[in-house]
Amino acid sequence: MSTLVSSASGGDELEARPPTRASKRELWVVFWIFPIFFGLFGMVFVFLARVIPPPRPDVTTGQKVQWFAAHATTIQIGFAAVCVIFGGAAIANGYVAYQMKRMSSGSTFAYTYMGAMAVGTLPGLLLVVLCFLAATLRPDRRPPITGLLYDLGMLSFNGSLGCFSTGYLAFAIAILYDRNGIFPKWLAYASIWQIVTEVIATQMWVSPAGPYAWNGSIAFWVAVIIFGFWLNCQGLMLKMATDRQPAGSRPND
Amino acid sequence: MQILAEAEDLPQTTNIRTQLVALWTSSVSALILLSAYIAFPGFWPPMSPKLTAGEVAAFYRDHTAWIRFSMVTFNLCGIMLLPFFCVVVVQMKRMAGQSLAFAYCYLSAAVSGATLFALADIFFGVAAFRPQREPDLIMLLNDMGWMVFIAPVGMIVAQNLMLAFAVYHDNGPNPVFPRWVGHLSLFTVLAMVPSACAAICTDGPLAWDGAVSFWLRNSAFAAFLVVMFCVVRAAIHRQAIEEGLAR
Repeated sequence: MSTLVSSASGGDELEARPPTRASKRELWVVFWIFPIFFGLFGMVFVFLARVIPPPRPDVTTGQKVQWFAAHATTIQIGFAAVCVIFGGAAIANGYVAYQMKRMSSGSTFAYTYMGAMAVGTLPGLLLVVLCFLAATLRPDRRPPITGLLYDLGMLSFNGSLGCFSTGYLAFAIAILYDRNGIFPKWLAYASIWQIVTEVIATQMWVSPAGPYAWNGSIAFWVAVIIFGFWLNCQGLMLKMATDRQPAGSRPND
Repeated sequence: MQILAEAEDLPQTTNIRTQLVALWTSSVSALILLSAYIAFPGFWPPMSPKLTAGEVAAFYRDHTAWIRFSMVTFNLCGIMLLPFFCVVVVQMKRMAGQSLAFAYCYLSAAVSGATLFALADIFFGVAAFRPQREPDLIMLLNDMGWMVFIAPVGMIVAQNLMLAFAVYHDNGPNPVFPRWVGHLSLFTVLAMVPSACAAICTDGPLAWDGAVSFWLRNSAFAAFLVVMFCVVRAAIHRQAIEEGLAR
């Protein structure tokens, strides 16, 4: 190992600092992307794209076309922004996987979490963005095609279940086996409730109206409340895990 | 780079060799991709979003063979760029004083971004599969292909931000990448971000055939890949020398 010159450069403190005394700034840079991304994501999907709460599945094709016409501008602004920021999801999930790698339970489920969530971004987040942008790009499309984009967007967004269930299962199992106390055990049980909501949400694929539809009280509202609670807990626990991580430490390769 | 004779059979040498193989696999694929890119009639000039459904359908009817050739090639070779991004991850993990958080987030974004790259050609390819299909449906497939190809730049943004942050935090005596690689990553992000508007504009420089969304975005990304190829190759070389495996 070469000797480090700390006195030679008077100006830039960062350059001169020995690697062994690394700060935690990089961890905090990555951590803060989690709340910033999910905050922006929530605002776009709720206030601009109007996808949460969801538009109704039990409407005529003409009403779907009207719905796009009524919200075209906000959908376009919101979803063009999502095209730029959706990589924040990969960073947030990557950072969770990174913290999971610090667990005594090993890297298996950290990699599973990263892989499942990385794949899930396409069907579970980006497909609705593309479908709704395609629908609003050409308001004069034939109505059955616009209707198809409406269904494809909403069902892929609310009905992408397996990628996230796999991620939640990996997260829960890793926490339950971990002895390093990276995340609290109750977060694992909360994650299992997330899987339960995903299983219940299977019903939206056969139920175009009522409580099990994609806007239903059970398949949507119960699920989204549990998701909101879980996501906030995951973010808070991620912050605490970052707090506790010793400066200059890194997980096993 | 010359691997030392006494290092030929050392286990560490295989790590250097696989990185070089990954680098060359991706470069050869990138050249093949370039030929697919040149062969795609829809890029010369880029198809205007203002074409009518009838004109789009006629385009697919008139150029079916070349569209099929270019999209099958894109499909076969597009994801072979992934080994290159994985070498970048391996090099990021060598950076001094780092907790590896940037490297794992970069990997996560690279994998997620690859799913999009794997999707774009399918829309163009399906449109060319039955060009006699109803023109409105051909146009939908064409719209989806163009939007997936041009607009969702978020994963590249995430990757390059992580790379830039990692370079700026690489505070060891022998940085893995030179500091300007961080600046280059950020400039590439700036050049690519406006093309998100290709999903909402049908006219002007921001439309998917426009000067910014098509030409600036794609040339910036291509130039970034070429420069990064040289930078990564040099980094592997330095790694081999530092580990006493090459001279």
